[in-house]
Amino acid sequence: MWKWGKRLSVLAAILLLSVFISACNRDDASSKVKMEFFQNKPEAKGSFDKLIAQFNQEHPDIEVTQVNPPEAETVLLTRVVKNDVPDIVGLGATDTYSILAQSGIFTDLANTKLPSTVDPIYLQMLKDVTGIDPVYGIPYAANANGVMYNKTLFREMGLSVPKTWDELIATAQKIKAAGKIPFYFTYKDDWQTNLPFNALGPNLVGIDFFLQRRENKVTFQDKYREVAQKQLELLKYGHGDNFGKNYADGNRAFANGQGLMYIQGTWAISEIRKANPKVELGFFPLPTGNDEQAVKLVSGIDTLLAVSESTPHKKEAEEFIAFLLKPENSKQYITEQTLFSAVKGVTQDDPSVAELLPYFKAGRVIDFADHYIPKAVQLNSIVQAFLQNGDINAYLAKLDREWDKVANRR
Amino acid sequence: MNKRLTAFYWMTVPAVLLFFIFLTLPALQGLYYSLTNWNGFGHQYHFVGFKNYVNLFQDDNVGNAYWFTFRFAIVVTIAINVLSLLIAMGLNAKIRFRNFFRGIYFLPNILSVLIVGYIFNYLFSNVFTIWGQNLGITSLSTNILGNEQLAWVGVVIVAVWQGIAFNTILYLAGLQTIPTSLYEASNLDGAGKWREFWSITFPLIAPFFTINMVLAMKNSLMVFDQIVALTNGGPGRATQSISHLIYTGGFRGGEFAYQSANAVIYFIVIAMISILQLRFLQRREMDD
Repeated sequence: MWKWGKRLSVLAAILLLSVFISACNRDDASSKVKMEFFQNKPEAKGSFDKLIAQFNQEHPDIEVTQVNPPEAETVLLTRVVKNDVPDIVGLGATDTYSILAQSGIFTDLANTKLPSTVDPIYLQMLKDVTGIDPVYGIPYAANANGVMYNKTLFREMGLSVPKTWDELIATAQKIKAAGKIPFYFTYKDDWQTNLPFNALGPNLVGIDFFLQRRENKVTFQDKYREVAQKQLELLKYGHGDNFGKNYADGNRAFANGQGLMYIQGTWAISEIRKANPKVELGFFPLPTGNDEQAVKLVSGIDTLLAVSESTPHKKEAEEFIAFLLKPENSKQYITEQTLFSAVKGVTQDDPSVAELLPYFKAGRVIDFADHYIPKAVQLNSIVQAFLQNGDINAYLAKLDREWDKVANRR
Repeated sequence: MNKRLTAFYWMTVPAVLLFFIFLTLPALQGLYYSLTNWNGFGHQYHFVGFKNYVNLFQDDNVGNAYWFTFRFAIVVTIAINVLSLLIAMGLNAKIRFRNFFRGIYFLPNILSVLIVGYIFNYLFSNVFTIWGQNLGITSLSTNILGNEQLAWVGVVIVAVWQGIAFNTILYLAGLQTIPTSLYEASNLDGAGKWREFWSITFPLIAPFFTINMVLAMKNSLMVFDQIVALTNGGPGRATQSISHLIYTGGFRGGEFAYQSANAVIYFIVIAMISILQLRFLQRREMDD
């Protein structure tokens, strides 16, 4: 017995010593500060790698590493449950961000110099999404959701950009009659099915709907019939296997000229160009109704930057964010990713999204619908199931039922 | 204390401690959280009693996940056991390149489920569809993973393809325990191949049959990786298994406590099924 006790105590001593040494290491000023930058966009991995390499070179005492797993939002939530929050987080202004911000796991950055460098419109957008005042995230880049089209193929067929819903359907019919694919749908991935939903909902029903829905004053069954009908109508102009292709398949196919229109976000442009650098793309907002002036562009915060409340390196994390927000770095990022910068004075000059700039200038933008729908409702899978069976009544009833169930469980 | 006993204590006590810390404690924590309304990361939560359990039984998404999982598990268990027994008998026969074939058939077990899933995902969407179009078979010319009615078949195919390898090895081990003298004797008595299988082979590998049935059933009730890689539960919720629902609802949906309650029920169900299966199949072993 005694022998074992001695061995155990030696083992314990070694363990303690190693803990002590690693604790010392962390405080040791001479060694590098190691920080983790966690972000959720697989498309942006390469762009951030370049910026991080430059940052690490300029700051020999700091080492930032990028983490970008698949299903990043879910992985992030899993890590938060384990109390293992990454030092810096890059995330869209979604419901996930909302619940994280409300749980107080991010640092309030209101008193730093960071918010002053970005456009106040985007700071306001963040407040609208979360419904709280502290600045837990700095908007970095914004996206737009609409219809991407192949300019070369449009020219070949003599088509012009549709401005109204009827023109959109007429264009699709003309393309279909010519034996080509009007819309390349990628509905195997359930999040792709909510893209038309995100454009139709806020334009036809408005964002206020969600605030009223929270108070149980309206229902999806009352207001969302037109949205559902129009989404079904669009499905008539797809290809033969709408539910068999995923986002990656779609980017490859559209880059190679299969399909003339692609209901998608600007985030896909960089991926499409990877598959075919020569493709000539254009972008227009999805015309949701027949009043040309009423159509708004759906745009949201694609990436915001947040600092963990529990990180020991808040100063360094702020430094990293300030670095990313420098106009030249932001410009490099949005140029590579074809997004729109939240930083004051940085403009997007890519010809593919030139048609969207007037909407931003005039403030004719509206946020994504799904930023206001609790994640637990699992909108994506509901929309995907609806598009498969086409049962509008069951679909709207299901949206209401799931919403109520989630509200009841909170 | 007896010296030998001391040694046994040193073997069991650490094991019990480790088991308690890494398995029992988290399970008890889960049980505790299932009685709260914690979202998984907030700093505060309330005790809500059995509300989560009550809601659970009214949630058609949960019912849907159980229905899918059971249907899937039964089909997969039967398919795996039939096919792997056939393959094992083939590999046990005196064929040429026997060791080479044994290696080939074990290969799927070495590959990661996720990687296999992603490869099959690509095949289903971009390769099989083209074969279907070229052969003029309409049911094959669209991706079956994107079809609400057929997606589960796709998941079954991949799960069986990969699951066969391990069960084949177990059956092979079982077949090698049967003395060849029995077959020689039955040969002299003039028994046919079919009779030989039912009267000698099958009864003698009964314990292996039991363990294979239980393992295959348990593994397919807990199906997760294949779902993530192939369909992510879709289209809609057509292929959402229970563990996938617990994961997505609990983490992505921020309903940690609610899905903890689901996990508690799920644990009880799997434990009961395994016990019942063992009892039933072991009794069968005795009868023979």
